[in-house]
Amino acid sequence: MKAFSYTLAVSTEEATNAGTQSDNNAGGTNLVDLMKIDVMDPKELVDINQLPMRGVTLDDGVLRIGALEKMASVAEQPEVVQHFPVISQALLKSASAQLRNMASIGGNLMQRTRCGYFRDVVMPCNKRVPGSGCPAFAGENRMHAILGVGDACCATHPSDLAVALVALDASVNLQGPKGTRSIKLDDFYLLPEDTPDREHAIEPGELITGVTVPQTNWYQRSAYLKIRDRESYEFALCSAAVALDVDGLKIRDARIAAGGVGTRPWRLPEVAQALIGKRVSQETFEHAVEIATKGARPLSQNGFKVTLLKRTLTRALVHVGGGVA
Amino acid sequence: MNSVSQSIDRVDGKLKVTGQARYSGDHSLPNLCYGYLLQSSIAKGNIQSMDVSAAQHSPGVVAIFTPFNPLKIYSPAQAGEEGAISGDVIPLLQDPAVDYFGQTIGFVVAESFEEARDAARLVKTEYQTQPAIVELQSGLGQAYAPKSVSGMGATVSVLADGVTSIDEALRGAEVLVSATYNSPIEHHNPMEPHATTAIWNGDRLTIYDATQWVQGQQRNLAAVLGIDEANVRVLCPFVGGGFGCKGSMWMHSPLTAAAARVLNRPVKTVLTREQMYTAVGHRPTVRQTVTLGATKQGELTAVKHEAYSSSSRVKFFAEAAAHRTSLALYKSPNIVVTHEIVPLDFAPGTFMRAPGVAPGMFALESAMDELSVKLGVDPVELRLRNYATAEPVHKLPWSSKHLDECYRLGADKFGWSQRRPEPKSTREGDWLVGHGVATALYPAHRSHAEAKIRFQSDGNVSVSAATHDLGTGMYTVLAIVASEALGIPVQRIRPVLGDSGLTLAPVAGGSQSTASVSPAVVAAVDSATKKLISVAVSGAKSPFSGMKPSDVSYANGVLQGGGKAVPFEAVLAALDRSAVEGSGTASPGEEEHQYSFLSFGAQFCEVRVNEWTGEARVTRFTSVMDVGTVVNQKTARSQVIGGIVFGIGMGLLEATKVDPNNGWIANRNLAEYLVPTNADIPHIDVEFLNIPDTKFNSLGVRGIGEIGIAGVPAAIANAIFNATGTRVRDLPITPESLLVEQKGMA
Repeated sequence: MKAFSYTLAVSTEEATNAGTQSDNNAGGTNLVDLMKIDVMDPKELVDINQLPMRGVTLDDGVLRIGALEKMASVAEQPEVVQHFPVISQALLKSASAQLRNMASIGGNLMQRTRCGYFRDVVMPCNKRVPGSGCPAFAGENRMHAILGVGDACCATHPSDLAVALVALDASVNLQGPKGTRSIKLDDFYLLPEDTPDREHAIEPGELITGVTVPQTNWYQRSAYLKIRDRESYEFALCSAAVALDVDGLKIRDARIAAGGVGTRPWRLPEVAQALIGKRVSQETFEHAVEIATKGARPLSQNGFKVTLLKRTLTRALVHVGGGVA
Repeated sequence: MNSVSQSIDRVDGKLKVTGQARYSGDHSLPNLCYGYLLQSSIAKGNIQSMDVSAAQHSPGVVAIFTPFNPLKIYSPAQAGEEGAISGDVIPLLQDPAVDYFGQTIGFVVAESFEEARDAARLVKTEYQTQPAIVELQSGLGQAYAPKSVSGMGATVSVLADGVTSIDEALRGAEVLVSATYNSPIEHHNPMEPHATTAIWNGDRLTIYDATQWVQGQQRNLAAVLGIDEANVRVLCPFVGGGFGCKGSMWMHSPLTAAAARVLNRPVKTVLTREQMYTAVGHRPTVRQTVTLGATKQGELTAVKHEAYSSSSRVKFFAEAAAHRTSLALYKSPNIVVTHEIVPLDFAPGTFMRAPGVAPGMFALESAMDELSVKLGVDPVELRLRNYATAEPVHKLPWSSKHLDECYRLGADKFGWSQRRPEPKSTREGDWLVGHGVATALYPAHRSHAEAKIRFQSDGNVSVSAATHDLGTGMYTVLAIVASEALGIPVQRIRPVLGDSGLTLAPVAGGSQSTASVSPAVVAAVDSATKKLISVAVSGAKSPFSGMKPSDVSYANGVLQGGGKAVPFEAVLAALDRSAVEGSGTASPGEEEHQYSFLSFGAQFCEVRVNEWTGEARVTRFTSVMDVGTVVNQKTARSQVIGGIVFGIGMGLLEATKVDPNNGWIANRNLAEYLVPTNADIPHIDVEFLNIPDTKFNSLGVRGIGEIGIAGVPAAIANAIFNATGTRVRDLPITPESLLVEQKGMA
């Protein structure tokens, strides 16, 4: 761990005016971990835990979550459990109880990949050291992405919450030296392409202050399915966030995203589109998910994710769609 | 006093849960400094230079040792050679060769752990890199038959009269199954990392070291440090799990001691989890081909078991998967096992819980399941049809074998008769349900041991030996055995262990501690009571003064004679003596040549596999064990449950992932090296037959440390076949193997 200065921010302005060598720390479950292994080395660490970015409210059809809310507390909020089960489930299937008690919502959205090459400074990594190369393509890549893979990077985005949020068209609220703005979370995450070190559409000094999720009644019919090697404390091999608007047996609308397969949380609007107007049935789902793997680039050890993604989506849709014979 | 076979709380439990039990890394001393290993980032080559200038100026740095500024360490030896036995064979830091990724190439000492770690990262190492072979598949071309495997030849052949080869026997078989099974490198990952605190007082070394063998460590440290054994004292009263990786000396211990000697300060080294993946051993990867020939009735006529295991090029170790299983389990007129070593440019391997047996039983018991499917014979019935009533190679009778009862009782408890043999015939919602069985076995080992019993004037009795408690419950076992022999309550026994200065006891490995030490405790009780009587009759102030020893007897803490009955502490008080002690020894004897000794078990499990996404989860487990006398039901059950959890990890989760291009290990942490969480573990039903094996030792005790794992991976694989119809022969069994068919297409 390299030497760094530590500041307790008492105002949001103070945090956003910190220098470009600074990083913001909330729960510390990811950043401090990465600092200990020298993967991240901010010169200045700004503790933002005193900032007023808290609260979970559901008013006027919008769910607002403060960036400093803990994962555990958001997962248990009655408004979230009742109206956005996919969000609650994604949170509860993340990490461990101890981590969920510490980790913040903003930090969760900013967490870095678990790619082992990224996390070990003795290895090359284009995300950590641009241009140094990526050994994962010819090495250990079972857990890596099949979608959004460029030539420079194939690491997955690790967040479960982000998958649920992009499915529901959530936005992040940002505050920076130039003021505040809000952008769709789906636009917030960047494909690695030639610059895998740049993961977010965040500007220097900008801070996530919160998340907003538009409410529709049918989000109550949503779920998060996470497939993993073990039952707890494990990242997704593949996950699916699905919400269905069903009228009788007819699908009126759908929101779908996948995790564990993409270099960023992977929204699947074409699958949703393929479901609209169709009748709820296993065949409908199996047909619709075929398009999910369009453009997939399986690697030496993770070709199974092509099948697993379709199966995971179908299983989640059957679960949420219900009434399937 | 009926202490044996009860269910008794750990006598050291309170110390552990209140944080008073001090482990090897828990010792703080004045003037202590901290060691940190610097490890290589290449798999093979030479270090051309190490620039330590920045590191030397880093805050708190005391010293930096490298191959260019080494600490003197003498060479250890390979097993069987003269000299110290060590997990590492090359004495690290003595030359600039790099033989594996993660090899220790430097030792940084600083005022704090964090400062040592930071400084280690500032060392700039330049390598000249050579090509490395780090995968079993790539190394098969260099495979060779070693001189010895598990004390036997690389090939062991049992052929019926007139049969010239195993292949001939197989060709004549009515039914044949043959398949190849693979298991990956696995790591022990005990919760407590290896830790060493070395303190010199003149030429005497006191070392708190996380080890499964205090006296072996004493001998080995003395040898590589070039000092007299009598000047080394190794202390390890508590071990936070070992599973084999603390059974050998690894180089961080002598490096720490050598640095402390040079610096004239106590030094403490605690390994990081990451360092433990290359510094303290692993279970080698194994490829096995099992070919079974049988009659149509399911009687084995030929068994051929071929194993290839990886070994570090710089340290020979054979994971004796075929030798330790197929030569012991089934009756067959023809059995041949072979073993070849595949040398890799990889860190040294070592014993890991049920070495050889765990991967070997996965292959053999999977193959038996494949045979049962081919024959249409129930898997339990097939095993009973091939039941060996004598050890298959030397035809020695078993000292005590009740495996048939394990199968029957286990089947009954599990509800085996309800099992549907046809795959995919049981489902609950999206989940296919399957039931599988496998046999567990593990050799019963026993070594010479000595124990001491000390009657104390405070009314307690101490029992001591240089044995170990790895979390296994050995403190409690000592207390129970002494309690039973002395006839006084467990609460009045004070067990002492984990100190090389105590009486001789073997390594806590090979599941032998209880079987070795317990008879010595009984002998020590006999010796100590004789001594007590002798003192009681000779002391002038004793209530028994002047009596003949034969007129005084000891029972239940009380001396009796001449119409008097006096508690031993009152006798000691009258004599003004603080204590009377006696020691006793126990050794294996003639019985070693008359019988074969093995522990057995039958393990049944239920697995559910999601038919969409292929996750397999164990939902029920029943294990019936024939392990001789169970000294403590409670800790024995815990240990077998722990073994089964270990086996579930081996079956479904555990694998060390090595980059084939450079030997780098991808998952050197407990987030990515997956072991089971509580959510992965169902209720585990463990039952002991508890039939004493008195031909093995007077208490009838065999070991239980390793057998729990033995049948688990195969039982899971067999249950998965029963659930899905998919036979998976590579461990761990992960979802990609089970995505074969589309849901609803069955």
